[in-house]
Amino acid sequence: MAQLRHDHQKFVERDVQIIVLGPENAQAFAEYWQKEELPFIGLPDPKAGTLKLYGQEVNLFKLGRMPAQVLIDKNGIARYVHYGHDMTDIPPNEELLALADELNSQ
Amino acid sequence: MPRVAINTPAPDFELPDFSGKIVRLSDFTGSKNVLLVFNRGFT
Repeated sequence: MAQLRHDHQKFVERDVQIIVLGPENAQAFAEYWQKEELPFIGLPDPKAGTLKLYGQEVNLFKLGRMPAQVLIDKNGIARYVHYGHDMTDIPPNEELLALADELNSQ
Repeated sequence: MPRVAINTPAPDFELPDFSGKIVRLSDFTGSKNVLLVFNRGFT
């Protein structure tokens, strides 16, 4: 999350709106956003309706949700989907920014 | 568990943000790319 904050301006320059979803409740989100001064949208999804809609996996053995990223173009089409295999399996921002450049050039 | 396929329409959703403001994925169609980050928990 700190990495996303660090590169947020680069995403903004590429017309990318970052939306973070998670199973925590609104209060937990609000506290975390305030503490970390996060500049993007945070959506609590305690009922996990959207998390399930997008197929975020829950790994019972590792006691947690696997990270996932979906990059959607301006036409609402999913152009990049990454489902993490473990808690640290997150694509680097450089890869996501390069993909955004590609979308914007089409 | 359903998964989102590349080059297909991303499922629309509607959720209040932590301040109560309704956010829809379709709000951004036509104006912004969107990066959805499914968080693994606040650490």
